[in-house]
Amino acid sequence: MRTERRSSRVLQYVLVLLIAITLNFMLPRMMPGNPLALLAGADVGLLSPEQRAEVAARAGLDRSIVDQYTAYLGDLASGDLGFSYRQKRPIVDMILERLPWTFLLAGSALLFSAVVGVALGAFSAWRRGRPADLTLLGVMIALDSLPSFWLGMLFVSFFAVQLGFFPSGGAITAASSLEGVDLVLNIASHAVLPVLTLSLLSVPGVYLTMRYAMLSVLGEDFIRTARAKGVSERGVLFRHVARNALAPVATVLALRLGLAFGGTVVVETVFSYPGLGRLIFEAVSGRDYPVMQATFLVFTVAVLLSNLLADVLYPLIDPRARAT
Amino acid sequence: MSVWNTRPGPPAARRTKLASSLDRLGGRREAPDRATGADGADSKLLEVSHLSTHIWTRAGVVRAVDDVSFELDYGETLGLVGESGCGKSMTALSILRLVPEPAGRIVGGEILFEGEDLLHLSAEQMRDRRGGRIGMIFQDPMTSLNPVHRIGDQIAESARIHLGLSQRAASDRAVELLDKVGIPRARDRARDYPHQFSGGMRQRVMIAIALACDPILLLADEPTTALDVTIQAQILELIVSISAEFHTAVILITHDLGIAAGMCDRINVMYAGRIVESGAVDEIFNRPRMPYTSGLMASIPGLSTARGQPLRTIEGMPPNLIDPPAACRFAARCSDAREICHAGEPELTSRGGPDHHARCWGTDTGGWLP
Repeated sequence: MRTERRSSRVLQYVLVLLIAITLNFMLPRMMPGNPLALLAGADVGLLSPEQRAEVAARAGLDRSIVDQYTAYLGDLASGDLGFSYRQKRPIVDMILERLPWTFLLAGSALLFSAVVGVALGAFSAWRRGRPADLTLLGVMIALDSLPSFWLGMLFVSFFAVQLGFFPSGGAITAASSLEGVDLVLNIASHAVLPVLTLSLLSVPGVYLTMRYAMLSVLGEDFIRTARAKGVSERGVLFRHVARNALAPVATVLALRLGLAFGGTVVVETVFSYPGLGRLIFEAVSGRDYPVMQATFLVFTVAVLLSNLLADVLYPLIDPRARAT
Repeated sequence: MSVWNTRPGPPAARRTKLASSLDRLGGRREAPDRATGADGADSKLLEVSHLSTHIWTRAGVVRAVDDVSFELDYGETLGLVGESGCGKSMTALSILRLVPEPAGRIVGGEILFEGEDLLHLSAEQMRDRRGGRIGMIFQDPMTSLNPVHRIGDQIAESARIHLGLSQRAASDRAVELLDKVGIPRARDRARDYPHQFSGGMRQRVMIAIALACDPILLLADEPTTALDVTIQAQILELIVSISAEFHTAVILITHDLGIAAGMCDRINVMYAGRIVESGAVDEIFNRPRMPYTSGLMASIPGLSTARGQPLRTIEGMPPNLIDPPAACRFAARCSDAREICHAGEPELTSRGGPDHHARCWGTDTGGWLP
């Protein structure tokens, strides 16, 4: 029963991944216009018929759609994501170069918003209905409705340009030969503003989930049992309420990990941060379709992996979800 | 009583061992002889007087418990009987000061427990009584246990708080209690989670939690209502035998007069937030002096009730407790009611029998009922 359920879950993920890959394959082919324009850019009109045929053959466009599809799958399996026409480089190299920076941003932002959101949510639930809770709730709802590009630009102009506390862009000071602690500090000071922007936008979601989950658990019968045992208010809140409220919060956090990748597009653009999000922006503005296609796939896989993470985490927190 | 005899080893011996180990840890605080209490023979364990608990709702203030007074002796089992919404659960929650706030609040009265008024204790002193001197079992065992904590830990938590036991000692105590309430393979089962237990087993666990610190008073709020009939008897027998063995006083809340009759020494019948009749169980059953009590007894279906014969019920509904009538609260449903019953509310007065009281014009001196 247990292994059966687990293998069917794995099968689901494989199926979803296959659908995503197929859509990714279809998308550029379903777009209006000449595929050569996608591959060779706007100057396709200047090519001679022979040159066109050559470009098409190089991209495999002269073969049947089935052949193209199996070739695409084969390339993916061998880790080949295609070739960038703008940068004249394999896309895999470009992505691997950018991925660590995006991990740094998205990971730190998630960690920060998890800690702050859970702590504030628990605090709010503890002071439920009192001024402290209501004030915090109002602030969070307001924060939740701010657009990320606006907040990011505000940070850049205030902290970076006016106060000069942090660099306004980039991930590391260019052409410097920093080492050890200096290098870490340099990277950290570049990351502060983008991480803060990303976090401030995901704290409200975590906070609201935690607060609501705690409030609903507070009404449960077993909380009354805990009180009848003589457990202190703090013990009730932490040992009994928070422990139960963590299950939905952990799910939200894991799912947000996937979304955080998407959130980096705007923030990395505003802060000129050399991550995957900015790569997408560059690819879109430069009409580098193969790069867009490859980065979309990476984002899809990230969302799938974070779903998988949520599936793995949940039973660790809630024993009822463990198959017996 | 047979529950203990099926367990290996004489219970008395294990009890002594446990008691002495707790003595060493300074956990046991009560006088050696619990039957008489610390202050002499005639002091009561619990004296509730003029207790009123109100609940604020959108429609108005509900007088859930309205000027209720009763007493409980050391080791005695008292039944609080009545239909849903009569205030019996709210009375028990008031004793523990666990009335759901902010909607509910105890607005008046006195609850003397071992000589001190629980309503005047600080929050911390009150926590010390909850789970320590007073244990409570709730109605629904399916939702009353925390789903994410192990059974053993949930029992041990109480022992750690009140007896100051170490984690290990508290775990051992939890296993011992699980064994005591009849959970087979207690040491293994202590590591399980509530969802791995059946309803009856969970209620045994609830009993173990309530008894974890050897309370002198046990509040059992409809402990068998959510269980299968076959399990009900086992759970009731468990409560009876444990309270007898440890000389724990019990307040049993039930809507089932049959259960109350089988278990209790005395019975308080509650109706619409008030006690309407109280007395020794035999008195109540042989000579009920309040038509509501008679109606409750008549509505218990027996095995002799013929098929197809309609079940006996009490017609009508209890009065609205937001603005209760200035009359006998049962008068509107009472087939024996006369003018006086609708004109004013009777007091709870003596009916001659040992400690037998009723709130009824018809059975009072000069009344028209037998």
